[in-house]
Amino acid sequence: MFIFEHDAKVLLEAFGTAVPQGCWVGAGGIVDGTLPTGALIVKAQVAGGGRGKAGGIQRAADAPAALEAAGQLMAAPLAGLPVAGCRVEQAIAGAREVYLSLTLDASRAQVQVLACDEGGMDIEAVDPAALVREWAGLDAASIVEAVDRAAQRLSPANRAPVAEAGACLAAAFTALDAQMIEVNPLFVLAQAGGPRWLAADAKLITDDNALYRQPLLSALVERAAARYPEAARKWRHGCDYVVVDPEGEIALLTTGAGLSMMLIDELRAQDLRPYNFLDVRTGGLRGDPQRLVDVLGWMGEGRRVRVLLVNIFAGITHLGEFSRLLVRAMDAVPAFDVPVVARLAGPGFDEAVEVLGARGVKVERDLSLAIDAVRRALAEGASTSTRTAL
Amino acid sequence: MKPRPAFSLSVDRHTPVLVQGITGRAGQRHACMMRDAGTAIVAGVSARADAGPVDGIPVFADCASAVAATGAVASVLLVGAAQVLPAVTEALAAGIRLLVTPTEGVPVHDAVEIRHRVDAAGATWIGASTPGMAIPGEAKLGFLPDVSLAPGPVAMASKSGTLSYEAGFRLVQAGLGQSAWIGVGGDPVKGTRFADLAPWLAHHGRTEAVLLVGEIGGNEEEEFAAAIAASRLDKPVVALIAGRTAPGGVSMGHAGALTWGSFGTWEAKRTALEEAGVQVCSTIDEAVQSLVRALGR
Repeated sequence: MFIFEHDAKVLLEAFGTAVPQGCWVGAGGIVDGTLPTGALIVKAQVAGGGRGKAGGIQRAADAPAALEAAGQLMAAPLAGLPVAGCRVEQAIAGAREVYLSLTLDASRAQVQVLACDEGGMDIEAVDPAALVREWAGLDAASIVEAVDRAAQRLSPANRAPVAEAGACLAAAFTALDAQMIEVNPLFVLAQAGGPRWLAADAKLITDDNALYRQPLLSALVERAAARYPEAARKWRHGCDYVVVDPEGEIALLTTGAGLSMMLIDELRAQDLRPYNFLDVRTGGLRGDPQRLVDVLGWMGEGRRVRVLLVNIFAGITHLGEFSRLLVRAMDAVPAFDVPVVARLAGPGFDEAVEVLGARGVKVERDLSLAIDAVRRALAEGASTSTRTAL
Repeated sequence: MKPRPAFSLSVDRHTPVLVQGITGRAGQRHACMMRDAGTAIVAGVSARADAGPVDGIPVFADCASAVAATGAVASVLLVGAAQVLPAVTEALAAGIRLLVTPTEGVPVHDAVEIRHRVDAAGATWIGASTPGMAIPGEAKLGFLPDVSLAPGPVAMASKSGTLSYEAGFRLVQAGLGQSAWIGVGGDPVKGTRFADLAPWLAHHGRTEAVLLVGEIGGNEEEEFAAAIAASRLDKPVVALIAGRTAPGGVSMGHAGALTWGSFGTWEAKRTALEEAGVQVCSTIDEAVQSLVRALGR
């Protein structure tokens, strides 16, 4: 799970990392912290890099100017990404910019420590010869040792700040089940008695699978569910659901991540507009239609959704059992009243045809035929006006 | 860094297999289904061993006694996500050589620890978050649906369960089947990666072509592309990659299916695979037809 910069800074601060003072500004105003005084920086909170070049970081002389800039940033997507809010923080002058990151390398199953005397830019654009790389095992002591080795290869003035910052990040990395922590730039300020350092930016990627043992992160997901809608849904409902096109016309009730993604790709290649990605995990329903009721309710939020395509290739699930749950869920969400096309494969197929047939749903064996049926349903519905949003 | 032990797999209808977590809902059901598919399921392990056998399969309180009594060398672990690390540790201590862990949701930091322990023991780990593996006609360790399985010339390697079910199903309908099917799983840190399979596929006699079922996120497809030349895998390879149009920054159902900037994207994978001579297909049908043509069937 990608953690927005603001939340990442709050989390890292709990493990000793110094950050500029700041707060989150959302549509409803200031939340999470207080507005600092003096010159300010306004930073759009987006789930992607290249924010500065896209105009997502702005300077403001005072608080009113900062709030105005935040309002403007939140009004439109930034480089195609929605702006969830802004972090407004104190501007720091006269700092040297350094790079430091810890990444779990999936191939080696080790932690990569990457450091550079020059920070603040896209690290992929930096001359590889200037990058310092060390490897560590997945425990804080091993990461601290690797950071120390990396720090010794930097310019003398950066060694102590990088080693100190790295120790804080190492503690956070292991404690938070992190997959990546990147501080770019790490600000180093020369001052009497030794340099001071601050994480001017922070990128944190954590592990959804470990949320059950991460009270700080699960609390964040609960408290800021609007910022992390996918993670919040998974946490509360046990399934993965992503709106891929708010203007989409085809709601998808699907199971399995890969097949669901592939179906979206194939529909789009045929100029059809799927509304959502869903891995409903039929194996986890266990006789209770509630998850399907929830899912149909979410799909009803799509104002242009005009047909529901059900595609279940069951390895484990009994399709008759699933169909009865689906009918119960459809009955429970009468407001989501769109034509339903079902493509099913697996055990209990004949029973599913009977159960769904009684509810007026035709079941296809073949996915291409089901997509043809979706196309017909869209064409038939084209004469009627856009369905009223629920 | 020490090189990892080379991937090896010798599974057939005589390979004695135990099921950890056999008294659970999934354990009971799949132990029987695997046995029906021809797998030599010789034992189960459960804390509730005193409840007696599961459909005639003897149940033991721990792996060590199950292995001692039955000679099991492989294990399918049907336990909860938080139990996978301790269950793998127990299996390795009992001398199990092949571990298949279908469980979804294993924390990544646990997976790192599991991999180090498996490598230290020189064992083979398939998973986590995998539908399992099968040698059709011989044995199946996991959930792979029987309608998608038939003996044949195509080795399938897949991250996604359901997409590979669909691809396998259409492959079988087209008259082709599988020489082996290995679900490497959808997690970022795992026991067996696509690239680990390349040298084995190059020398696997019954494999005439390879179907790689990948998805966005991570760099396994790119690693596999590099491994093709390094391991002299000169059989036709066809790839399907799900997630071409997925949004960035969001995990698409699988913990590993997360793109970041240009890293892990469909385009990066397609480029790497095509440069290695792999045919990257846009649809499942196109992939199946390509294999039919490549094999002249």
